Amino acid sequence: MASYDQRHGSCEMHSTDSITASGEPACTQPANAVTARGVGRRFGRTWALAHIDIEIKQGESVLLVGHNGSGKTTLLRLLCGLLRPSTGDLRLFGSAPQQQPFEVRPRLTLVSHRTYLYEQLTALEHVRLWMGLAMDSTYHSTPAEAQERRAKELLETVGLEQRAADPAVQFSAGMRKRLSLLRTQIEDPDLILLDEPFSALDPAGQDMVTDWLAQLRARGKTLIVASHALEQASKLCAKAIVLHTGQIVWRGAAADVTAGLLTHATKSNS
Amino acid sequence: MNIVRRVAATAILIAQKDLRLEWRNRARLFSVALFGLVVLLLLSLAFGPNSDDLQRAAPGSLVVALLFSSILSLSESFRLEREDSALEGLALVPIEPMGLFYGKFLANTLFLLLLAGILIPVTVVLFVVEADARVLLQLTGFWALAAVGLAAPGTLYAAMTSRLRSQDVLLPLLLFPLEVPALIALVKSFGFILTGDPMEQLVSWTKLLIAFDLIYVALCGVLFPFILDEGS
Repeated sequence: MASYDQRHGSCEMHSTDSITASGEPACTQPANAVTARGVGRRFGRTWALAHIDIEIKQGESVLLVGHNGSGKTTLLRLLCGLLRPSTGDLRLFGSAPQQQPFEVRPRLTLVSHRTYLYEQLTALEHVRLWMGLAMDSTYHSTPAEAQERRAKELLETVGLEQRAADPAVQFSAGMRKRLSLLRTQIEDPDLILLDEPFSALDPAGQDMVTDWLAQLRARGKTLIVASHALEQASKLCAKAIVLHTGQIVWRGAAADVTAGLLTHATKSNS
Repeated sequence: MNIVRRVAATAILIAQKDLRLEWRNRARLFSVALFGLVVLLLLSLAFGPNSDDLQRAAPGSLVVALLFSSILSLSESFRLEREDSALEGLALVPIEPMGLFYGKFLANTLFLLLLAGILIPVTVVLFVVEADARVLLQLTGFWALAAVGLAAPGTLYAAMTSRLRSQDVLLPLLLFPLEVPALIALVKSFGFILTGDPMEQLVSWTKLLIAFDLIYVALCGVLFPFILDEGS
């Protein structure tokens, strides 16, 4: 029987294991997308995160909750390799994001509250830049007209096709957010880290993001969502983690996250 | 796609993006060109009005104008990437960091080459230099070699200091010592082009400049990924 080694996110082979057609050992449970063991991050003398242990399987969606300064953004930045852990061992799909960036980076993206847009580039130019940088092997051999057609199709999906020729500086915060979400669509990663995905969006924009995230989840993508919008985010995520002053203080079902926050608040006050 | 093609494809995309942004917001070109012109004007006033003195000072003055303008230009080149943390966005994309470097380097080199079209003719006029088409072409060629030598370490150091408030002070402090051999080669070369080269020394200075360019371009490309990694 193939047993699932949760610590390393891999299957251990035993003498009685079945073998798949491809010769791989049959493994019924998905591998870990994220494995963090004792991960901490310090800025100067202040620990923004301490002793974080997390295992998130591929295809899971997890909600990160906590007050401002609780360590949500730091955790997301550690996961995507923008920060290096001060302590502990962090693995994404079995690889360390800092040591093996080319193993990890194509498989994840961060949708930050920053949009990473250039003020003077138009929406269409942004999309074409991202398409080029995504290094799709077919992109560079595709004729320019076909590239532009594809870019316009993508802009349609976020309702910006009428503003394709306008520079980002003329966009509202919500439009900038929608445009920045296209980057994720183009890169098509396995793990999507979202930092306040509903911020700066009007109700229609929030619905659009909710639908988009639901589609990603249905396609088996792993989602980690840091958000204060508990009502929307808890509908999308199965599990939740509550962070407080850089430590995990509660884990459970996303549907129970409000109860979790109350439990933690009660414990803190008593 | 192999690594060389990936680096080249990324570099072209980044250079296109930078040049497009520079063209849309021409403030950098105007400010840098104006600065170079003011430097040349002041130096011509200081060394004039004797035409022999002016001609002797022309090579050095042109190099000073290039150096100061390049510092101003290079320190601005990463400001684009600080808008809305765009550099962080690029760091998240699975691109070859070397491609990012060579893209920025290419854009910076082309930008400095554009300055040649403004500053060389002005030098010819202000410093009363007798220059035919061949001389102008030679000056532009050496300017191009110098632009490569300045842009490579300049791009590296501009990236390194781009997150610091004291970038404007640090960039010249770091860059000037590294550029001394290339600048000496450039002053000598300009001198031989403008005042004659009876001992035919121009070839050796050209080789020296090319050697520096090759070393800087290769070395800075290798070092750039370490600069980009801010995760420590």
